[in-house]
Amino acid sequence: MIRFDKATVRYDSGMSIRHVSFSIKEGEFVYLYGPSGSGKSSILKMIYMNLFPNSGDVEVFGLNSHGVKRREIARVRQRIGMIFQDPFLLLDRDIYSNIALPLELAGTPVKVIQQKVSRIADEFGLRSRLRDYPYELSGGEQQRVSLARAVINDPELLLADEPTAQLDTELSTEIINWFWKQNQAGKTVIFSTHKDKFIDREPARTLTLASGELVEDFTR
Amino acid sequence: MSLRYIIREGLTGITRSKMAFMISVFSVTSSLFLVGVGTLAVDNGLKVIENLQADYDLEVFLENDSDTADKRNIAELITSFPGVIRLDYLSKEDAARLYNAEFGEDVLSVLDDNPLPSSFRITFEDEHREGNYILSFIQNVESLDGVDEVIFKKDLFDRIQGLLQMIYIGAASALFLLILVTVFLTSNNLRLMILARYDLIETIRLLGATDFMVKAPFFLEGGVIGFIGGLSATLLIVLSEWLFQRFLHVTLPIRIMDYPELIIGILIFGISLASLGVLKAVRRMLRFVS
Repeated sequence: MIRFDKATVRYDSGMSIRHVSFSIKEGEFVYLYGPSGSGKSSILKMIYMNLFPNSGDVEVFGLNSHGVKRREIARVRQRIGMIFQDPFLLLDRDIYSNIALPLELAGTPVKVIQQKVSRIADEFGLRSRLRDYPYELSGGEQQRVSLARAVINDPELLLADEPTAQLDTELSTEIINWFWKQNQAGKTVIFSTHKDKFIDREPARTLTLASGELVEDFTR
Repeated sequence: MSLRYIIREGLTGITRSKMAFMISVFSVTSSLFLVGVGTLAVDNGLKVIENLQADYDLEVFLENDSDTADKRNIAELITSFPGVIRLDYLSKEDAARLYNAEFGEDVLSVLDDNPLPSSFRITFEDEHREGNYILSFIQNVESLDGVDEVIFKKDLFDRIQGLLQMIYIGAASALFLLILVTVFLTSNNLRLMILARYDLIETIRLLGATDFMVKAPFFLEGGVIGFIGGLSATLLIVLSEWLFQRFLHVTLPIRIMDYPELIIGILIFGISLASLGVLKAVRRMLRFVS
């Protein structure tokens, strides 16, 4: 599903990623682990093709990032659910519209959108907040909206870029459990974190990064 | 592709950022108002100068002994020239009446016989109202039997033609500059409007929107801005004309409501200016959003 082959990214300020190689198969749960600035976000950006390697190869869903067309990038992203530290919600529209956005973009019929949003709102305890605006929600609720939006169109791959960084332990546990549930349902999950307690509690394959290099690839 | 999404986003984008929308409409309206007023001012100016010209271009005086057959021949020859759109015959009696009206004196009371000749007054269409063409026409007509003299007020004609040409060139250049400034100012305003939506563009692109899906709603929104701007500019011009008439007691020879081409032009220019301006701004922004 994902293949990195000696991928290297150089920023003007210096090297970011150095000769990173790994593969991820369908249905895997993988932690991207490392301190801030180790290159976790850059790896995720390369997977959703927001960043391109200067040398080496990155292949996602069989599509090589070299010479990829913007239209193809859009198609790749339609198969990925992305969750960031910042929920990236659109403040000028209500929660219903935020969650429904990926379906709207895909041209899903209104009735189907209503059914899917209703079902997912129940799942995330957001039913009573659907007509509210993001700024009326707490940080935890906003992150739940972000999760709901990420899975509303049933993506094959979930990318999480430190989604629990600003949340308390209880909410963080709730969220990591949700990702494991998604993985058990067949989705591939790449979860970036700098906290090893998650890995200790729910062991899985872990790619450890330090200063832009992949220093360890092991399964606990 | 979701047409419903494009239409809904294009229209709700207006209500979501009312201030940016209103500023954009105001900017387009001001620009189109200036262009509309500029065009009307030029057309009205030209019309006033054209009205300074005599009702006719030439007067062909006939010899006193020319008979009806001669006059008919002359009339037929004159009308066979391209560009002659009007030919009026003034008999000796008509000439005496005009003399009486102009000088307040009956020519027959001074002289026993009416010495005024009969004549033809000739008017040319605009395309043929050109010095060299009229001079060659005069040469041809003067050589005809029965024609005594052809009077052409060349000095006045040349002066008005020169003035018209100067106004045409000056006005066309001024309008061109005005349109350039308009395009520049409006596109800058629209760029600011789009810049305020950076988050939206970045988010929907991350959610898998193609460039077309990002651009299309903005293109539609630009069209709506242009249409409302065009309509507002037209109404403002109508209001200005009314104020002109009401307070300055000036009735313009050409008014916007008598000039549907200008209204359609303003609307089309407004829609194109705003929708293409928005499209250009979004395209520029997409360069920074992969």
